[in-house]
Amino acid sequence: MIPRALRFRRFSLRLLALLLGLLFAVLATTYLVVSRANERTAHDHARANLELTARIVSSTIGQRIESLAGNAKVMTGDDALKQVRRTGNNRTLASLLQSFSTRVNAPVITFYNADGDLLATSDPAMENENADPFRLLIREAIDQDLPQHTGFSYLKQELHVLIVVPYYAPYPNVFGWFGLAFPIDRAFAWKIRETTAVQLTYVSLDPPDRPRVLATTLPDHSLPPVLAAVLAANRDRLAHTLPPPTEIVPLPDDRYVTLIQFRAMLGEDPVALVLQRPLTPELRSARDLENYLLLTSLVALAAAAVLALVLSRSISEPVRQLAAHTEKIAAGDYASRLTLDRADELGQLATAMNQMSVGLSERDRVRDLLDKNVSPEVAAALLRDGSALGGQEREVTILFADLRGFTTLSEKLTPHELLTLLNRYLDRMSAAIEAHGGVIDKFIGDAIMALFGAPVAQADAADRALAAALAMEKALVQLNTELAAEGIAPLAIGIGVNTARVIAGNIGSHRRLNYSVIGDGVNVASRLQSLTRTPEYHTNVITSAATLAARRPTPPRSPASSPSSASSPLPTFRPLGTVPVKGRAEPVEIFAVG
Amino acid sequence: MSRPLLPLFALVLALAATRLAAGTVVVTVKDDKGQPVADTVVSLVPLDSAAAAVPPPAEPAVVSQQGEEFTPYVTAVAVGTRVSFPNHDKIHHQIYSESPAKPFAIPLHGPGAEQTLVFDQPGIVALGCNIHDAMSAYVVILATPHFLKTPSDGTARLADVPPGRYRLDVWHPRLKGDPRRDIVVTADTAATQSISVSLKPDKRLRRAPDGGGGGYK
Repeated sequence: MIPRALRFRRFSLRLLALLLGLLFAVLATTYLVVSRANERTAHDHARANLELTARIVSSTIGQRIESLAGNAKVMTGDDALKQVRRTGNNRTLASLLQSFSTRVNAPVITFYNADGDLLATSDPAMENENADPFRLLIREAIDQDLPQHTGFSYLKQELHVLIVVPYYAPYPNVFGWFGLAFPIDRAFAWKIRETTAVQLTYVSLDPPDRPRVLATTLPDHSLPPVLAAVLAANRDRLAHTLPPPTEIVPLPDDRYVTLIQFRAMLGEDPVALVLQRPLTPELRSARDLENYLLLTSLVALAAAAVLALVLSRSISEPVRQLAAHTEKIAAGDYASRLTLDRADELGQLATAMNQMSVGLSERDRVRDLLDKNVSPEVAAALLRDGSALGGQEREVTILFADLRGFTTLSEKLTPHELLTLLNRYLDRMSAAIEAHGGVIDKFIGDAIMALFGAPVAQADAADRALAAALAMEKALVQLNTELAAEGIAPLAIGIGVNTARVIAGNIGSHRRLNYSVIGDGVNVASRLQSLTRTPEYHTNVITSAATLAARRPTPPRSPASSPSSASSPLPTFRPLGTVPVKGRAEPVEIFAVG
Repeated sequence: MSRPLLPLFALVLALAATRLAAGTVVVTVKDDKGQPVADTVVSLVPLDSAAAAVPPPAEPAVVSQQGEEFTPYVTAVAVGTRVSFPNHDKIHHQIYSESPAKPFAIPLHGPGAEQTLVFDQPGIVALGCNIHDAMSAYVVILATPHFLKTPSDGTARLADVPPGRYRLDVWHPRLKGDPRRDIVVTADTAATQSISVSLKPDKRLRRAPDGGGGGYK
C-alpha cells in the first residue's frame, strides 16, 4: 500500500516528511499562484502601455505632418518662389527648395506641376524614380479634392511619410504641388523610445516572406526573434485570424511583451510596427513580493523542520527508551526502572512498565524461593493452581529418616563443620528420595520427612518409597566411604515408611503456608523410624503392613515395569511382629526392609 | 650728372623723403586659442587730422556668385568704390541688403548676369540671396586709405602710414567685443600690433541641406 520510499524506519523522519511535504505543497502552490497572477498583471500593464505608445507614434507622425503641411502653405506665399517660378529655371527652384528644406527642417521637399510632373527636389539623390508615390498621392488628392494628402512609402529604400500640399497662384488655383517627406528611421524610433521607454521596430514585408528591418531601437542580435514574430503575425493577418493583441517574445536580454500592428503603404505590402516592453521591470515590485514570499516560505519550512524534529524526538526518544527497557525486562533485568519525566500517555506507559517490572521481579523471587523451600513439584503445582491445594484426603506413603548419634557428632565438630556435614548428608538423601519421585516435605533438624503420592498422586507410591529407603541406605554407605577418607566417623540412619490416608494441603497462617500432610499415618511413620533403634530388629528400615498392602502386585521380573527396578533390587521383607503405637488402639504389624 | 636726369633724381629724392617720413604697422590677429584669424578688416583712422580723401580705385571690386556662394566672404573697400556682382552659376540668384550703409536688391538674375553698385557710405553691408539661405557675404566700406583684410596667416602689413596718432579698428563678422586701440605711428619704424579677438561660433548655413536625421536631432 505505502510506497517503499515513504516507509520510514524512524518516526521522526515520517513526521518530518509529512509536515514539510504538506507545508511545501501549500507554500509552492501559493508561490505559483501569486507568481502567475503577477505575471498576468505585468503583461496587462505592459499591453496597455504599448497600445498607448502606438497611439503616441501615430500622434507624433500626425503632428509632424501638420507642421510640414503648414510650412508648405507658408512657402506657397513666398515671393522668391514666385520669382523663381516665373524664370522657369527648375535648377534654381531645386536650390530654393534646399533652402526651404533647411528652413523648415523637412528632409525632402519636392515640387510638381499641376499635372503631377516632378519639377524640382531638394534632395538631388532622390530624382524621378521616387516620384511615383507622390504622384499617386497627388492624383488621389485631385480626385478627392483634398487640401492635403499623406501616406507611407519607401524613398531611397527607406520608410517615409509623404505629404502633398497644393501650390496656389492664387488660391484656389492649383498651379503645382509641394511634396514633402520625412523618414521613419532610427532617429524617429529613438525619439519615441526616449519619451515612452518602449522598444520600437519597423519591419518591411515587401516581399512578405523576406522581412527587412527599416528602423529599430533594438541591437542587431535581438532582431531575429522579432522578425520571426512579425512573420507569424503577418501569416495571421493574411489568414484573417485574430491573434492575441500582445504576445511574449523572448529576446536575448529579457522576455518582451510585444505588440505588432500593420500600417498600410501606398500601393505596396504593409509595414509592421513592433512595440516591445521588457517584462522584468514591470515585474520588479512583484518579484520583490515573490522573493519576500520565498524567504518567508523558507523560514517557515525551516521552522517546521525544527518543530517536527523536536516534536518527533519528544515522542520517539521515550518510545526508544521504552523499547530498550522492554528488551532489558525480556532479558530478565527486573531491577532497572525507567524514568520518563512526563505526564502524558508515554509517562503512564513507563509507570505501568515499572509496575510490571516490580510484579515480575516479585513473582520471580517467589518462584525462586518456592524452588528452594518447596519441592519442585509442589512449587509447580502452587504456581499452577495457586493456593487451591487445600484440604484433600488421600493415600500417601510417608517416609521418615533420622540420623543416629547426631548429638554425639555435634559435640565433636565446630558449628560450621557440623552444618556442612549435615547439608552434605541431607543433599544425598534428598537426591535419593527425589530420584524415586518422592517429595521432601520438610527437614526437621537432621530428620527428613518425605511424601510419595502427594501432591501428585502416584499409583506406585509405596514401591517408590521402599525403593527410595533402600537407595538412601546405599547412598549413606557411599557417603560414609567418603567421610572415612576425610577422617570423619561414619553416619548411621534409621528410616520408617508408612502408608495411610491423610489430609494433604497448605497448612499455616495466611502469610506463610506449608504444603504438608497431617494425620495418624504420619505419626506411625515417625514411630516406625524410631523403632529402627531397637537392636533386636537388626534393620535400618522398618515399614508397616499398610505399606506392604499398598504395593502393587509384584510383576514378573521385568526390568522396565517399575521405575525403581532398574536401579535397585526388589526389597525383601522380614516380619518383626506387631508393636503398639502411641495414640493408636490397634498395634501395628511391622517388617524389616532389606 | 646730365640735365635730363635731374627731374628724375628730384622725384626719387622726393619719394625717398616721403618714405622716410612714413611708418609701417604690422597687425597680427589671433583668436582665443592663438590661431590666426583670416577675413579680419583692420584699419587705421587718424586722430589728429581728418583722413586724407583718397580717390576710389578705377577698377571695381568683385563679389562673385559661384557654387551658390558669394566669393570673397569679406570685401573691404574705400568709400565710393564700385563693386561688381557677376553670376558664374548656372542657376538664378538674387542679392539683397538691408544694411543702412547700402540697402538694395538686385532682382533674380540668371547665369552670366553682372550688376555693379557704388558703395558710397562707410559702414558694413551684409549681403544675402533670398533663394539661397546659405549665401552670405560682407562688404566693409571704410573712410580711410589705411586698411587691409587679413589673409589666412592673420597678419596684415599696413605700410606708408604717415606718423601720427591713429585708432586701430578691427572688424570680423563674428567679432565679440571691440578690441580697438589707439596707437602712435612713428617714422621709419615697423610697429607690430598683436590683437587677440574672441569670435562667436560660426552660424553660417551649410550649403547642402542636412541629409540625415529626418529632423529628429
